[in-house]
Amino acid sequence: MSFVDAIKSLGTKKNTAEGRKRTKLRRVGNSLDVSLILMTCLLLVFGLLMIYSASSYEANLDWGDSAYYFKKQAFAVILGLFAMVGIGLFMPSRLPERVLLPIMFVAFGLVMLLPVIGHASHGATRWIRLGPLSIQPAEIVKVAIIIFEATFLTKYMHTLHTWKGFLYSLIVPIVGLLFVRVFSNNLSSGLIIFLIGLGMVFIASYDYKKYALGVLGILIVAVIIYFALSKVEYSGDKKVDFRGERLIAWVNPEAQSDDLGYQTMQSLYAIGSGGLTGKGLGQSVQKMNFIPEAQNDMIFSIICEELGLVGAIIVFLMYIGLIGRMYLIARSTRDLYKSLLVVGVMMQITIQVLLNVAVVTNTIPNTGVSLPFISYGGSSVTILLAEIGLVLAVQRENAYEEDIRMRKRMEAEEAEEA
Amino acid sequence: MKFPFPFKKNSEETPKKKKPKVRIKYSERLQNYMVMKLNVFAIVVLILFVVLTARLLKITSEKGEQYKKQVLSQQKYDSKIIPYQRGSILDRNGTLLAYSEQVYNIILDSSMFKSEKGQEELEPTLAALRDCFGLDIADVRNFIVNNPDSKYHILKKRVTQDVKDSYELLRDAEESQITRNGIWFESEFKRFYPNGSLAADVIGFTTRDGIGQYGLEEYYNDVLAGNNGREYGYLSGDNALERTIIPAENGYSIVSTIDAHIQQICEENLVAFNEAHRGEYREGEDGANNSAVIIMDVNTGEVLAMASYPFYNLNDPYDLSHIYTQEDLALMETEGTLMEARNEVWKNFCISQSYEPGSVSKTFTIAGGIDCGALHDGDEYYCPGYISLGEGTGVTIHCHNRYGEGALTTQSALEQSCNVSLVMMNNKIGKKRFLEYFKNFNFGLKTNIDLAGEMRTAGLVFNEDTMRYSELATASFGQGFNVTMIEEISAFCSVVNGGYYRQPHMVSKIVDEDGATVQNIDPVLLRQPISESTSELMRQYLIGVVENGTGKYARPAGYRIGGKTGTAEHSGEGKTDYVISFMGFAPANDPQIAIYVVIDRPNVASQDTATRYACLLCREILQDVLPYKHIFMTEVLTSEEQKRLQEGTAHGNAVAIPEVVPEETDTEESTDTSDVPVYELELNVIIDKNTGYAIDPSTGEYLDPDTGRPINGTSGIIQDENGNNVNVTPGGVPVDDNSPF
Repeated sequence: MSFVDAIKSLGTKKNTAEGRKRTKLRRVGNSLDVSLILMTCLLLVFGLLMIYSASSYEANLDWGDSAYYFKKQAFAVILGLFAMVGIGLFMPSRLPERVLLPIMFVAFGLVMLLPVIGHASHGATRWIRLGPLSIQPAEIVKVAIIIFEATFLTKYMHTLHTWKGFLYSLIVPIVGLLFVRVFSNNLSSGLIIFLIGLGMVFIASYDYKKYALGVLGILIVAVIIYFALSKVEYSGDKKVDFRGERLIAWVNPEAQSDDLGYQTMQSLYAIGSGGLTGKGLGQSVQKMNFIPEAQNDMIFSIICEELGLVGAIIVFLMYIGLIGRMYLIARSTRDLYKSLLVVGVMMQITIQVLLNVAVVTNTIPNTGVSLPFISYGGSSVTILLAEIGLVLAVQRENAYEEDIRMRKRMEAEEAEEA
Repeated sequence: MKFPFPFKKNSEETPKKKKPKVRIKYSERLQNYMVMKLNVFAIVVLILFVVLTARLLKITSEKGEQYKKQVLSQQKYDSKIIPYQRGSILDRNGTLLAYSEQVYNIILDSSMFKSEKGQEELEPTLAALRDCFGLDIADVRNFIVNNPDSKYHILKKRVTQDVKDSYELLRDAEESQITRNGIWFESEFKRFYPNGSLAADVIGFTTRDGIGQYGLEEYYNDVLAGNNGREYGYLSGDNALERTIIPAENGYSIVSTIDAHIQQICEENLVAFNEAHRGEYREGEDGANNSAVIIMDVNTGEVLAMASYPFYNLNDPYDLSHIYTQEDLALMETEGTLMEARNEVWKNFCISQSYEPGSVSKTFTIAGGIDCGALHDGDEYYCPGYISLGEGTGVTIHCHNRYGEGALTTQSALEQSCNVSLVMMNNKIGKKRFLEYFKNFNFGLKTNIDLAGEMRTAGLVFNEDTMRYSELATASFGQGFNVTMIEEISAFCSVVNGGYYRQPHMVSKIVDEDGATVQNIDPVLLRQPISESTSELMRQYLIGVVENGTGKYARPAGYRIGGKTGTAEHSGEGKTDYVISFMGFAPANDPQIAIYVVIDRPNVASQDTATRYACLLCREILQDVLPYKHIFMTEVLTSEEQKRLQEGTAHGNAVAIPEVVPEETDTEESTDTSDVPVYELELNVIIDKNTGYAIDPSTGEYLDPDTGRPINGTSGIIQDENGNNVNVTPGGVPVDDNSPF
């Protein structure tokens, strides 16, 4: 049953017994998934609190207003909540599939246009300014990849066990990676785009072997690099490129704590000094000039410093709750496409959380990954909320279909009784 | 296999063509294996969360303590100093003589312009820096480009509050893109002297780090200086960083007894004198080596004005370009004498330089003598022109009139400044009593005036052991020992005010920054060297000096004053250098102010006859100061005086010192200095080229430079009823006023 039909059927036959039952059932079916919204809002509120705590010192210095970043983020959050509820309530989950081509064009087109109309920061051009908002096209590409893979895998899941089918399924994520890498010099977002695609393919494909082998291979390479680089004595004058530096800093951050490993070490200092219960909310000292732009990618270290290990575990549990809820929705959805949409959103959030925490704890080399719903970043949080809206739409439709099934069962029971 | 584009609806054709490894029935819903994969994914994610938690645990447990210390050690505990504001110096009417104002150094933090935001802010910031501070933005830009990591670079020093405000207004405006932390201000205080060189020697100046140098700034440094406040971080009990601010304690202000207006009158007249005689005899020098004036309140010891020429700009004390030419300065720089020259200029002649006072000291000799009963009013003396101090000494003291003053009373001896009579008087007084009074008048002791750098003269005066007969004789007329100006005038005040010696002082009150009085500094009565009646008599004598004697020129039109002249010889080889002076009080009947004018080595051909310059300088100063002090004229003005007053006003109170006759003139007809008001007496004289003395053309007699009377008589001086007319015998060569040996 399409969304349009559902809209049409709203409010009909209200006065009959059957109509009353339907209305009652539909009310249940049309309602949004409360637990998912709750989990999201919990993270959002926590995120806003931490952004204020982490950024107020610098915001006051830079802008004369300690709530500067907080206000901007709160605006983006409100915008995102409207998008989430709107999408969740009214958008048919099949709609993205239908407009896939335009979405792909817009996403990749914006990335290509970045060098022309983009806005440079931190040595990379990643943003497009739209009035008060700045949008990161890479975030849109992530959404596009989720929709693309959901559509594609639904149709071609049976080819994935062949190498050819597997590789075909990864063409678009790889193109996304290259686009984002080339046009906005943003490898980390590109990698996330690729990993989202790969994760979805993994779920949709039957076998495990190549994934297991891949993970094993990466681990071996990482170990080799780690031990190779730990032998290298870095002297400042050697010509090492940006990413080479990061690898060196990853292996031995303390040796370069003044230079390459500065950010990493400051992050570790924050975590270490936080201890089990932290210094208390707002009591971070590392946010004062030591961790630059602490409200961004490194916000997790400030959480650890202020709220300690306990706070970190609570954050983990909030994410696990959110991911778990999406896991349940994905499982219970009786439509592969919708299911894969939810899996995609879940993949993105999971990957970003894990990578972010891994970076902050220097488990992997330093790369810029934001912590979903918590890190400062207007376009990121708005688009993430829109994605949650997509999940809500799927769940709403699930509930509606459940309605219909219940109605049929009730009708059947009534018929039996009769 | 041809890869079909997903949007074409031919996907049904593709599945399971060649024996797939796995046979599954696909439908458009989640497959069981996918649920399995989701489960695997969920488990992996959970494991990864556990791994990350373990990682966090490892960091906190293994490195926790170390990192805690690391974090604390990174914090800046170094305290920031909050500068205090140095107190102001005010004159007795509340006029600001010195004050400190907050100024700002502009600090550039280049590292703030590295970020995207910083790049955006760079141009608007540079424009604002150019507009507000007039900085060369090309330089600033170059600095930022060349030193991108610099955190502290002073762009400009000591910008005033107004300028800083204008910049901040621009920065805080809506839509402003000017950086907030790329440019910041460091505050400090700068000392300003709104009147430039006024009372420079009295006020002194401060070094850049706020330490007073010379004058009140140095003497009251501890009062004017406050305590710097501090902002510092420390570790609280639970290892948290706390910041505390201890505010600065500002210094107290001092209210000086100086009257800026009187001070200004004195300084203007000193300048006029020095301008008038610049280069007159000695090429390229001022009107005198030193010239200085002190005006004091006779009843309180408060100094109303104290000035010594040359002055210097307190706002830029190191600059001597108004005194020396650029070439001279460059030369001094290379020779290393520049600092010496500066010290010389900064020195306050009035308190830091001793000299032999000369005849003004006769006042104290006579006052002491009368007070102790050794001398009496009306005692008679006979001056033959010289006195021999006896066989053993071989010293003969000449009167300035070598042919003798003739018969003199105590009063007229003072009026005519007769050395011989004074020696005779000191013989009566004797060494013991003389020294006792000498000490009571505080000579040889510091006055302890509240100014830095007062000279100690203890070693430059006599004591029982060093004073022999000849020293007693010369000391009677102020030669042979050294004093400072402030010692002289303080003692003089006690002579005229009824005998009360008060410590001279410069500051009457110390107030805090809100204007509340912290301390009143009252006049300190030290002792009474002479009795009221002696003082009364001395006033009469001193009035006589001005009315009938050597101090005639010192009388300002319309006033009666008392005083004493002095022409002291500089000790040393040649006897051509003199210190000329006049010390007086006004008004005559009720002394309120005392004035002391000293001109050290005037730049004129014959210094010993230049005593009138000191008198005239005094007259010009008093002419302006007395009306200002609400002391009204009591005497009838002569037509000449009226004319002079009018012209004086027209000339803006400039000192009009009548030229006797230019030295080069040796014709009968003296050059008329018609634009300057002059005494009739002086108009009709010519200068004897050999002696430098004026000759009355009508009689051919030498004229006394102090009194303007004929002096070269041998028959002594006979006074008429008025005490004005003298009968002299012609012939002979005039001698110095004071020639002790």
